[in-house]
Amino acid sequence: MKRLGLIAIIIFGGLLFSITFELPDLGDASSPASTHVSPYYIEHTLEDTSVPNVVTAILADYRGYDTLFETAVIFSAGLACFFLLRIPERKAPKARFYRHLTTGLTLRIEKGGRIPEESKEFERIDSAWVPNDVIINMTCRLVVPFVQLFALYVIAHGHHSPGGGFQGGVIFGAAIILFAISNNLRSTTRRLSEKSSALLGSGGVIIYLGTGLLCILLGAGFLNYSGLSVFPGLDPVSARSYGILIVEIGVGIAVTAVMVWIYYNLASAGTQEEGL
Amino acid sequence: MGGMTEHLPAIIVAVPLLAALIVTVVWWFNDRLCFPLSVAAGLVVCGASANLFQKVLTQGVIEYRLGGWPPPVGIVFRVDHLNGLILVVVTLVAFLNLVASRRSAEKEFRDKVGAFYALFLLFITGLFGILITGDAFNLFVLLEIASLTGYALIGIGSGRASLSGLNYLLMGTIGASLYLFGVGILYVLTGSLNMVDIAGILPNLWPSSAIVLAFLLCMGGLFVKMALFPLHAWLPNAYTHAPSVVSSLVAPLTTKVMIYAMMRVALTVFTFDFAFNQIAVRGPILWLAILAIVGGSLMALSQRRLKKMLAYIVVAEVGYMVGGFWLGNKAGMSGAVLHIINDAVMTLCVFLAAAAITIRTGDDRLSSLRGMFKRMPLTMAVMVLGGLSLIGVPPTCGFFSKWYLISGGIEAGHLGFVMALIISSLVNVVLFFRCFEIGYFEPFMRGGEPHSAPVEPGYGAPTVQEAPVEMLFALLTTALLLLLLGLFSGQIVTRVIHQALPAVLG
Repeated sequence: MKRLGLIAIIIFGGLLFSITFELPDLGDASSPASTHVSPYYIEHTLEDTSVPNVVTAILADYRGYDTLFETAVIFSAGLACFFLLRIPERKAPKARFYRHLTTGLTLRIEKGGRIPEESKEFERIDSAWVPNDVIINMTCRLVVPFVQLFALYVIAHGHHSPGGGFQGGVIFGAAIILFAISNNLRSTTRRLSEKSSALLGSGGVIIYLGTGLLCILLGAGFLNYSGLSVFPGLDPVSARSYGILIVEIGVGIAVTAVMVWIYYNLASAGTQEEGL
Repeated sequence: MGGMTEHLPAIIVAVPLLAALIVTVVWWFNDRLCFPLSVAAGLVVCGASANLFQKVLTQGVIEYRLGGWPPPVGIVFRVDHLNGLILVVVTLVAFLNLVASRRSAEKEFRDKVGAFYALFLLFITGLFGILITGDAFNLFVLLEIASLTGYALIGIGSGRASLSGLNYLLMGTIGASLYLFGVGILYVLTGSLNMVDIAGILPNLWPSSAIVLAFLLCMGGLFVKMALFPLHAWLPNAYTHAPSVVSSLVAPLTTKVMIYAMMRVALTVFTFDFAFNQIAVRGPILWLAILAIVGGSLMALSQRRLKKMLAYIVVAEVGYMVGGFWLGNKAGMSGAVLHIINDAVMTLCVFLAAAAITIRTGDDRLSSLRGMFKRMPLTMAVMVLGGLSLIGVPPTCGFFSKWYLISGGIEAGHLGFVMALIISSLVNVVLFFRCFEIGYFEPFMRGGEPHSAPVEPGYGAPTVQEAPVEMLFALLTTALLLLLLGLFSGQIVTRVIHQALPAVLG
C-alpha cells in the first residue's frame, strides 16, 4: 500500500513536472495571468471602489460571491464540528475541582461532598488538565488585549494594507483561545459562552449575506454594493467601499466565533461538562 | 414585485444559505421552528427554480452578474437548458427529502436538530451553487460547501459511520484538490476563471500537453467525487452507514450533480471539439464506465443489506451516465442528461423507501423485508415502482433514458456499452425481485427464524404500520414523478435536452 502510494505520487509529480516547460516563467509580465484580467483590476480598482488595496477589492467585491461562500465554508466547519463532536446529555461530573486562590492549592471534591460555593477564597476550575502557573497566566492576560486590538486594526485596515476579515478574525479568535489555554475553559466560557459563539458565527455570515440581499432590495443586483448609495452621503463608488468594510466586519466576527466554537468542542471532547 | 424575477438565480443560492444561518440562530431559542423554516426555504427555492427554468425556455440563456461586474472581471451565474432542467429536479428532490426527513431527524438527532437542518440546507446550497455557476473556480468553492457538510452528515451515523465519513473526507479532498489543480493550470494558461471566457481562449493554445493535463486533472477530480468505478471505494460504506435520512439526501444528489459538473467542464470549458476530437480519452473513459456498470451490478448482487445493495446500484448508475455522455453522439448524450434527472428521482424513491423500512424495522437487512408488503403496503408499492424504473420497465421513466442510452450505444457501434447496460438491467431484475420475493412470500415472524416453525393462520400476522405521514407524502409524490417523467420524457428530450447539447451534434 505504502509503495503504491509512492508510485502514484511519483507519477503525479512527474506529470506536473512535465508540463512546467509549457507554463510561463515565474513573474513573467507577459504571461496570460498578468495580461488578461489583472490589468483591469490594477487600473480600475480605485475608480470602481475607492479602495486602494487591490487584493481586498477583488476579494470582497469583484469576487465577493466566492468570499461569501468561503465564509460559509468556515461556518460549515464550525457547525460540522459541533454536529459530530458535541455530546449534549449533560451529566454531573464525577468530581469537581476548586482552587484556593491565595495558596494555589487544588481541592478535589467527590460527588456528595460539601462545596465551598459561596466562599470567595475558592474558584471552581476545569476537571481536565489545569495549569496553575502564575507567570504564564499573568503574561497571557497582559498580551490578550493587545492581540485583540491588533486584530481589530487588521480588520479595519484591510482597505489600505494587507489584512481583512479573515486574518483579523483569526487573530481575534487566537487571542481568545490563548486565554482559554493559559487560564481555563470555564473562565473563558463565562466571558463568551458556546451559545454566543454559535450565534456570533452565524451572525457574521448573516451580516455578509444580508448586505448582499439588501442590495437586491435597493434595486441593485446581489452583492452589488453600489446599491447602498441610497443612504445619505454616499455615491455609488464610496458605497462599494463601505459595503466592503461591512462584509469584512461580518467575516471577522464569523471567523472569530467559529474558531472559538471549534476550540470549545475539541478541547472539552464535546462534553463541555464544566457547564458551558 | 415584478423586478424580482431578474434576481431569481441569486435567490436560489441566497435563500437556503440564509435559512441555514437563521435555523442555527433560532434553534438555540426554539427548536420547533427549524423544520418549518427549512421547508419554507425549500418551497421558495423550488418555486424560483421552476420560474427560472420557464424563463430559460422562453428567453434562452440567462446570465446573472454578481456584484454587477461583467465577466471575466466578476463571477456570473449562467443558466441554460442543461442546468435549468437539472436545477428543477434537484430542488424538487431536495425539498421532498426535507419533508420526509422530519420524523427520523427528530428521533435520530434529538438534541441537534437545528444543526442537522442547517447542515442539510448548506449542503443543498452547495449543490445549487455548483449547478448554477458559470465560473470554474466558484464551482470549487461551492463543491467545498457541499462536501464538508456531506462529510458531517454521513459521519454522524452509527457504527462504522465515522470511519466511512473519514474515508469519504480523504477521498473527497483528493478529488477536490485534483480539480483545483486543473483550474489552476487553466488560470496560468488563460488568465481567466470564467468558463465561457476560458473556452474562447483555449483553442488558440492547442495543441498543448498542459491543457491535456488540466483536462485530466479536472476530470479525475470529478471522477473521484462522482465515484466512477475504480475510484468508487468510498461510496458504498459512506451511503450505507449514514443515517437513512442522510443517505436519501446524499445518494440521489451528489453523484448526479458531479456528473453535471463533468459535462459542464468538458463541454463549456474545454469544448466538445477538444474533449472528443483533440484528445483520445473517449475510449478509456467508456471502458471505465462499462466496468462501473458491470462491477457495480455484480457487487450489488452479493449484498445482504438493502442500503448497501442500493449504494452499489448507484455505482452502476454512475457508469450509465458517464458512458452515455462519452459516447459522444446525440442519443447517448440525451440519454445521459435524461438519466441524470430520472436517476435522481429513482434513487430518491428507493432510498426513501429503504429509510421508511429502516424506521419501522430498525435495520436494513434484506431478511427484515419479510412480510413487508402486508406491513407497509404503500411504501412497498412505491418501492416496486422505483425498482421497475431502475430495471427499465416501460411506463416508468427509467425505461426511456435507458432506451436513449442503448440506442446511443448502437449508433456509436459500441457493443460493450450496450451489453453492459443489458447485463445491468438483468441484474437489477434479480436484485429487486429478490427483495419483492422476500417481502411478499416469506412469512413475517416476530424475531424468529424464517423456517423454524410452521405459521398458523393469523399468528404473527403483521398489522399495517405505514411510514410516517410526511415520508409517505414524499414517497407518493416521488412515485408520481417517476410516472410523469416517463410520460413527458419525449417532450423533455426534444424541447429541452436537445437545446442543451452542443450544436455540432445537430
